[in-house]
Amino acid sequence: MIAQFFRRLAPVGLPGKLILGVVASVVLSLASPAIAQSTSAFSLNGFGTFGLARTTTDDVEFVRDISQARGVGSEWSALIDSVLGLQAAWHVTPQFEAVVQATSRYRYDRTFTPDISWGFVKYNPTPNLSLRAGRLGTEFFMMADSRWVGYSFLTVRPPGDFFWYLPFYSIHGADAAITVPLGESVLRAKTFYGHSDGRIPLADEQWDIAGSPMVGAFLEYQYGPWLARASYANIRFKNDLPVAPVLKKALGIDLSAQDAAFLATRDTRTDYYSLGLVYDQGPWQAQLMLNHIEQGSNALQCSDGGYALLGYRVGQVTPYLGYSWVLSKARGTGPSAVTAYVMQDSRADQQTTFAGMRWDVVRNVALKAQWDAIDGESSSLFPYRQDNRARWDGRMNVFSLTLDFVF
Amino acid sequence: MPFRRLILLCSLFLLLAQPAAEVRAELVVVVNARCGVAAMTRNEVINIFFGRNHQYFNRVEAQPVDLPDAHPDRKRFYSMLVGKDLSEVNAYWSRQVFSGRMQPPVKVNSADEVLKWVVSHPGGIGFVDLAKADARVRVVYELTP
Repeated sequence: MIAQFFRRLAPVGLPGKLILGVVASVVLSLASPAIAQSTSAFSLNGFGTFGLARTTTDDVEFVRDISQARGVGSEWSALIDSVLGLQAAWHVTPQFEAVVQATSRYRYDRTFTPDISWGFVKYNPTPNLSLRAGRLGTEFFMMADSRWVGYSFLTVRPPGDFFWYLPFYSIHGADAAITVPLGESVLRAKTFYGHSDGRIPLADEQWDIAGSPMVGAFLEYQYGPWLARASYANIRFKNDLPVAPVLKKALGIDLSAQDAAFLATRDTRTDYYSLGLVYDQGPWQAQLMLNHIEQGSNALQCSDGGYALLGYRVGQVTPYLGYSWVLSKARGTGPSAVTAYVMQDSRADQQTTFAGMRWDVVRNVALKAQWDAIDGESSSLFPYRQDNRARWDGRMNVFSLTLDFVF
Repeated sequence: MPFRRLILLCSLFLLLAQPAAEVRAELVVVVNARCGVAAMTRNEVINIFFGRNHQYFNRVEAQPVDLPDAHPDRKRFYSMLVGKDLSEVNAYWSRQVFSGRMQPPVKVNSADEVLKWVVSHPGGIGFVDLAKADARVRVVYELTP
């Protein structure tokens, strides 16, 4: 079975070194005390996941989010959830800090080529005010900037119906966060502005979103075990979706100028609204998240999504149960059969019931197993890759196993 | 007399079988005696140790200090404060560190080093056994299970 993973991985260019690195890191994290505990000016930390997943269909490929060019089908694969990250921080003074993080994960170009996920300087003029500038993680939704740190959350991966639409990871820009203590509770506000950085795969093509301006803010209120957050963000796309080359390759059709104009994403704006409520006390963990995405382009459907998650820890094992959903709003067909075909592609209409277990095996290492039952319409295509529209019936099960670690 | 010995043995056994918690000293949160804080609530202590708030009510910067996982007091502290296992506390900090938001409190190896830290930092705050708390620090919160 192991040889099969490697064979499946080989064509996408995963260097065997990554696997070796992951294994070595686990061994290291088990053998040595966490480096994070040092009080010196430099710190080096890392995180990673070795994950396996399979579904019960080959009519579509399941991805973690739409930043991935290919997904998994009915054979076990380590493609979508495996990651290795390293982070170095230099604490120049108590107020100044410089941080750089590199990650290797399956990405838009079908390789595990390492990326600099963030690199920034942080300045805290007062203890409760934080300013950062450089390449920064975006917090479009709650926990969006730690989506790849599997050890930090309960589930195998962030619930897809909520996070699929969020292929944005970083901006070149600045952010400011202020904390205002109100007696026993705490109010926190953050705002960011920058130019997005990255590419999103579309069939064999890539949509370049680099340079698209992004702006956003959130307000968070914490009282004891309760945390509530409301957030807003938007992005104005700098480039059109690569619809023309995709159509040419897939169907041999030339995109007319009129259809291209109708499906334009360039200079359109997408707005993201979200509400989150978290309860975290004793053995209980509960989350409720809602989002609404308003798409400015005819090529993309507006959508509402959300999830509810409940976990209860017994000793070192935390079983959990969740439910997530996403429903997009159809815009009609547009002026031609070609626009109708393209517009169908951004349809999402499905619900997922998931159950799983996190087992904290030893310090800094967790094993997880999860089952997702996706129940949707056959028109629900947006979350997937390589769809066979004639056969896909909207339903599948996903089985996942992960080993998460930090060091 | 065998009967007497039996009683002696039984009482010795009872003494040894006492739940460990009753033998343990109480854990307390202490601050630098000159930081101007006289008492704190449970939520205020949680906010400081989880990095949600970095200042006391009088705007003095809080400088929390923690112990390593291997120290039994760390497990007791978080268990009594928020009912959380250390794996959950570490998962929380991995989210803060790898999202680039903040670093966890500095860790020192023993209760004596905690006291040393609290005394030598104007906003120092840590947790120790009540018996360890001396005149250089002020007890601001007592942990009850």
